[in-house]
Amino acid sequence: MNVFVLAIIAAIILLDKYAVGEFGVSQPIISGTIIGAIFGDISSGIFLGALLQLIFLGESPFGGDIEPDGQAAGIIGTGSYFLLVSSNPLEYSLFLAIVFALVGGIIGGVLNMYAHVYNEKLYRVFMEKKHLLYVCHFAGLVTAFLRGLCLLLPIFILAHIVTIPRAFPQLTKELLMIIGLSVGLSNGLYLFVKKSTILYLCGGIACSLLLFVL
Amino acid sequence: MVNLIYGTKNKEDTIMKEHNELFNTHPYMASYIIGATIRAYDEGKTSEDIKRFITIAQTSFASAGDLLFWQTLRPALLLISVIFGLKFGIIGPVLFIISYNAFHLFHRARGITDGYNKGWDVIYLIKAKRFIMVQHVFEILGALFTGLLFILIAFKINYLLLIPLTSLFVILLLRRYSATFIIIAVLVLIVIIALV
Repeated sequence: MNVFVLAIIAAIILLDKYAVGEFGVSQPIISGTIIGAIFGDISSGIFLGALLQLIFLGESPFGGDIEPDGQAAGIIGTGSYFLLVSSNPLEYSLFLAIVFALVGGIIGGVLNMYAHVYNEKLYRVFMEKKHLLYVCHFAGLVTAFLRGLCLLLPIFILAHIVTIPRAFPQLTKELLMIIGLSVGLSNGLYLFVKKSTILYLCGGIACSLLLFVL
Repeated sequence: MVNLIYGTKNKEDTIMKEHNELFNTHPYMASYIIGATIRAYDEGKTSEDIKRFITIAQTSFASAGDLLFWQTLRPALLLISVIFGLKFGIIGPVLFIISYNAFHLFHRARGITDGYNKGWDVIYLIKAKRFIMVQHVFEILGALFTGLLFILIAFKINYLLLIPLTSLFVILLLRRYSATFIIIAVLVLIVIIALV
């Protein structure tokens, strides 16, 4: 897979985050599936996407903090995993892909802030020159696309060229599952568990144990 | 939309000139405000009154939409999708795409008609039984599927790590540490676990 083509496809998927429709295509589990399908390994794409989804489950684009970009993290994680694993052992690739994803998510959040500042500038341009409405709208779309491309392309190039030394830390799928599940569980508990819903949580745990025994 | 309703270019231009301020609300809730605004123009309300309504409505609908969609509905559906995805493969993502889009596209379309029918009273819809019930249903689903996450664990000694790690992240969330801090904590944890 050509890295540039992958980065362009990934940047288009990322447009769903704000610029086009918000249909949920950029959510890590969906983007992971798409990127997995591109590389011919949907199950690994779903696995990585699902675990990154659990880590970024509570992400919401509001509030004063710089929110890490969970959608970008999902795309970076799965994309760089497939690029890394083509020339490196699985456990090393998994570790580096997750590190890229989390760091990329934080950088994406910062880039998001700059994109907002630029969009405000476009708005001021429009206020001065009203006939530029459609030009400003299109420029906003291009900004969103370029934000994605600037974030994804360098990471994908790095993932494509890097050869991981054997002394590098490794991460097994099981350990990643444990970390993803623990963050996902805490996100779920924080978001959904109240006095009125605690019974349903207990019901869910009971069903899990029952399914386990059966 | 304006052109579609009125079919006259002149009217569209007038309305476009009157509404060139920043409009910032929840993307799925904007249709309610659009519907109510069209009704206000039909009833011949003044542009000052309409602008005042939009200013108030955009804030109210933004916070209601954040709570309903970003904090409840989307994470609940994603949680379901993750469990189905990890257990049954492609079914999980497909289930999310269909259910999520069906819900929010219905909501966007219904917003125009509800907004038009209710006019400025559309703002009271936020507290209507329909919204509160949907939110409660998805909170229940979210809680149920949080419990069902346990079907993903295996009976291995390593999985005991879930207890301290989950406790740690719950504490970080309850103490309202920033999302960036929590992601850095996950990163540090992964590095430590990988090194050990």
